[in-house]
Amino acid sequence: MNLATAAPESVTRPTPPRRSRSELVVDGFVVAAVVAVVVVGLSTERFATLANARAIITSASLVGIAALGLTLIMIGGSAVSLAISQTVAASGMVFLSAQSLGLVPALALAVVVGTAVTGLQGAVVGYAAANPVVLTIAASFAIAGVATGVTGGVSVSPSARGYDHLNATPGGVALSAYVLVVLTLTVEWVLRRTAFGRSLYMVGENRVAARAAGMPVGRTTTAAWLGAGALFAVTAAFTAAFNAAANVNLGGTLTFDAIAAVLAGGTPISGGRGSALRTLAGALLIAAVSDILLLRGYSTGVQVMVKGLLVAAVVVLVHLRTQERHP
Amino acid sequence: MTGRLRLRPELLLPLTSLVLTVAAFALVPTYADATVGAFDVYNALQIFARLGPLVLALGLTMIAGEFDLSVVGTYALGGMLTVQAGQDHYAFGVLAAVGAGALVGLVQGCVIAGLRIPSMPVTLATYIALLGLTSALSGGLTKTYTNITVTLWVDQTVMTYFSPRSLITGGLFVLAALVLGITRWGAELRAIGGDRRASRVAGVRVGRLLVGTFVASGVLAGLGGSLLSFSLGSANPDPGVQPLILAAAAALLGGVSLAGGRGSALGLLGGVLSVALLAEVATVTALPGYVTQLFYAALLGVIVIVDAPDLHDTIVRIRTRLRSDRPNAGHAPLSQETP
Amino acid sequence: MQQRLTPGQSGPSTRTGVDLVRVEGLTKSYGSTRAVRDASFAIAAGEIHALCGHNGAGKSTVVKMLSGQESPDGGTISIAGEVVDLRSRQVAQRHGVSLVDQELSVVPALTVAENLVLGDVRTPWVAPARRSTARLRSLLDGVGLDHLRLGLPLADLGIGERQLIEVARALGQDARLVILDEPTATLSDVESEYVYASVRKVAAAGCAVLFVSHRLGEVLALCDRVTVMRDGGVVATTPAGELSIDSLIHQMLGEAPALPDRRVRTRENAVIVLDVEALTVPGRVEDFALEGRAGGVYAVAGQLGSGASDVLRAVAGLVPDADLSLRVDGAPARIAGRPGAAARAGIAFVSNDRKAEGLFLDKPISWNLLATRLGALAPRGVVSRRRWTSALARLLELCGLDPERAGHAVGSLSGGNQQKVFVGRCLDREDVRVVVLDEPTRGVDVGGRAAIHRLLRDAADRGVVVLFSSTELEELQDLADVVITMHKGRVVGTHRGDTAGAVLLREMTHGRTEDEVLPAGSMDGRAR
Repeated sequence: MNLATAAPESVTRPTPPRRSRSELVVDGFVVAAVVAVVVVGLSTERFATLANARAIITSASLVGIAALGLTLIMIGGSAVSLAISQTVAASGMVFLSAQSLGLVPALALAVVVGTAVTGLQGAVVGYAAANPVVLTIAASFAIAGVATGVTGGVSVSPSARGYDHLNATPGGVALSAYVLVVLTLTVEWVLRRTAFGRSLYMVGENRVAARAAGMPVGRTTTAAWLGAGALFAVTAAFTAAFNAAANVNLGGTLTFDAIAAVLAGGTPISGGRGSALRTLAGALLIAAVSDILLLRGYSTGVQVMVKGLLVAAVVVLVHLRTQERHP
Repeated sequence: MTGRLRLRPELLLPLTSLVLTVAAFALVPTYADATVGAFDVYNALQIFARLGPLVLALGLTMIAGEFDLSVVGTYALGGMLTVQAGQDHYAFGVLAAVGAGALVGLVQGCVIAGLRIPSMPVTLATYIALLGLTSALSGGLTKTYTNITVTLWVDQTVMTYFSPRSLITGGLFVLAALVLGITRWGAELRAIGGDRRASRVAGVRVGRLLVGTFVASGVLAGLGGSLLSFSLGSANPDPGVQPLILAAAAALLGGVSLAGGRGSALGLLGGVLSVALLAEVATVTALPGYVTQLFYAALLGVIVIVDAPDLHDTIVRIRTRLRSDRPNAGHAPLSQETP
Repeated sequence: MQQRLTPGQSGPSTRTGVDLVRVEGLTKSYGSTRAVRDASFAIAAGEIHALCGHNGAGKSTVVKMLSGQESPDGGTISIAGEVVDLRSRQVAQRHGVSLVDQELSVVPALTVAENLVLGDVRTPWVAPARRSTARLRSLLDGVGLDHLRLGLPLADLGIGERQLIEVARALGQDARLVILDEPTATLSDVESEYVYASVRKVAAAGCAVLFVSHRLGEVLALCDRVTVMRDGGVVATTPAGELSIDSLIHQMLGEAPALPDRRVRTRENAVIVLDVEALTVPGRVEDFALEGRAGGVYAVAGQLGSGASDVLRAVAGLVPDADLSLRVDGAPARIAGRPGAAARAGIAFVSNDRKAEGLFLDKPISWNLLATRLGALAPRGVVSRRRWTSALARLLELCGLDPERAGHAVGSLSGGNQQKVFVGRCLDREDVRVVVLDEPTRGVDVGGRAAIHRLLRDAADRGVVVLFSSTELEELQDLADVVITMHKGRVVGTHRGDTAGAVLLREMTHGRTEDEVLPAGSMDGRAR
């Protein structure tokens, strides 16, 4: 079964498509690379331990959830959102300041904020075919500006202690990791089993064709961005809870980290293909490789550099593989 | 090419934003409790010197219909290499930075043009890798540049308002304007950004031009980082994402379109000067940072909405309908229209 | 209106007799399709040589090989006696070949002056504007655009003027062979005259000109000799003076095809499903109207630039500046520029470019077939496996596609099967009342074509209105009940589907000699 698209429905047991020679070469490369990573990993001290596995999953979780949101945007053909960090910051600030209402209401409020802000951008991209890169740059300025203006530049402190529940570590693994897995499965299900999911893949592959067929391009795109906004808000809640304070820099480098995670999973930036599982794999892969390097004593700089090269390699391989399918 | 002023977005936009920001700058005493003097102009031009090479680098690739996200990475790498290689003589530092920038541009350009991959993911990955490399080279620390004479020289006041750094940056823009204006590459760059297929059929050497553009972008970014590290007397391995966003905003204000095919070096100059002036106004008037951010947001928001193609179609549609609305015997009244 | 020149008057009075360009045994295949087989002809210096042929005859491929965009599989090209290998556009330019492409190849982002020199290999690195201004002005003059400023952005010009700029660009390259591929398809009469005058001037200076066109009147008026291609091969090369429009058509079609003996159904009493009135697209279509009755198959027949495709796209809601009154089953619908509204009104559209504007090549056949009925298959948002499977099975059987391969990506199918999927997407749907197809069997082999025609006929039998456009005479005769011919944006005539192909082709390529336009509308049952 090919993870690149959602599971194709079949009437009878279908014959799998023939693979061209170049596809096999590229696949061979990928297999060799994965084997190499595994071998290096296993030969690294302390890598193959439970504690280490937990650490990898935990460090992948926050970026992973945000990356899930970005996956929806990317599959739908809108390339990227450059406003992720700022959206997370704003939602996080809302989350902490609303703590006095209770953990769940505060979470709901944060989700509303994240969804609304991102959904609005999605509507402009979906209905007016505005350029998502420029639009999200503008949105990032707007969100940061409003957030700073409202708080006067002061960090937001939580108004109650409810948020701390999010910092729980059941079984030694951060709660956010469980949430990541659950959300991954949910998003994957939505992508595979709903009409919206199928429309999203098709709109993402060829917006012009979808439009000519009379498909609801605007509605589909907006829905994807709404979902992404909700996922950004969840990331915000966990991040804010972890920091116990939220200011406009709460998002840190999340925008590019999320983009790297999605791309590393093999989702093409041009849209139309990808899956939540792939993004999870990409986030885990990046976390695992960084972890191996860390255990082997390499500096943060080297970890980041390898991350970049890894993403570049995946992007090129994915592109070559797609080209072969039908030039 | 004939040099005549045309009211096109690529000139109108930077002109308007420049006029507005200059006015805002000059009129500061009228609406804020502060004055603007020669020093503030100097500061504004220093900001220009910091952002300028980035804007030019990014802008050139945008005109060609691509997007070089890695410019900030090359910028950081250039600064780091300059500090580390230029301790004995500054020339080695500059050479290292420019050479690295050219190499990065060459590799990216060949991959993008040769494999026909979209530039955004490739340059994004390069950006991450370069940041990592820079950090690895410095062990994650900020490195100091010990040659004080160079640091002082680079930022000394020249003709009251300028410094060698801002003059060099201005010179880069003039050079770019000359190259694009006088050589055939100017029109060809816009051609491959405007309609790549038509350019290929017409006989433009698309591949070579793309590689050359990315090399230029890398060289400019590397050089910019080099100059900045001289000025600061240090190299920071992570300048953050802010420079990229500001550079993109400046490029868009400079009349460049993300779709490609539009823009000029002078327009980019106007765009980055506007951003620099705005930043200085914010500092002088102690304007809260968020107000400036909201202003940028509004500006970019207007640009992106005006540029949106489906919005164009809607306007055309409405205009056509308005023009054609006329009494039609035998047609059902509007109330029976299918939604 | 173009004048028919008397024989011998076209072109320069003296031909040097020296062949400047020689094409011998040219062959080119794309995969298993033979696009050009053994084509040979020659063009003398100073000669304006026409290349004619119906769709798929191989003209475009010959042009691509002569201009350096493709390499021939076999045969040779010689210029001035020297065999040349035209590996790229730049190499071709250096050998003196310049091109006006069929698809507009000027860049709107550049100015007039910049477009005039774009891609010219002779342009030095440093291009001083002043020296060449005079030359550029004279180029503009030659195509009647002397009123334009050189610094004007091309985006400000209309399609016709842009085309003229491209012609001026090609003529300004001091070439030995100038190839013009359908240069006047989008031009008005006046603009076309400038092209003819420039072509004559360039030929008079000793250049060889290859003029590809489907406008037979202009071909005979302008050109010295005409090479006709059919099915990838050259039929004949004849001096223009010895030809008439009808004899040209005869050469292009071969033997007059036997009139089909199927009964053309006249449906005078059927209900009007699709009612289009006063359809106008500025600059492209003027006053098109149609009353489509249930079960009828209507064809709009017109060449490139005739407006046929624009009519169909306007009905499908893809043309925002279209002005039309449209009713489906009596209910008015505002669909101009709103494809979603057109789809909701019951209009399904199959474009002429299934790869770019139709199918999702990377997605399985099942997805493509069911893309437009997801609402029905997913009652509460979730796709019902049962409904999906049964709808898929039904459609696969209807279209004659192998169920085993339902999971394969559509991009891996042959052109014919891809088109079946594209068409099949519109069928067997309660909500579809009109199926609009722009060139339904483009790039499809004979077997696939028959299958698609059968699909459309069956759909019509079930009460749907089928509206399609085509330039294939066989297809028009095989499929259509009514044929509406168009030329230069206007309706020329309305005919029964079993009208002789020659009549249709004449109207498509030449309009009406008397400039009379028959009112289009409900079929009048008159065969001509």
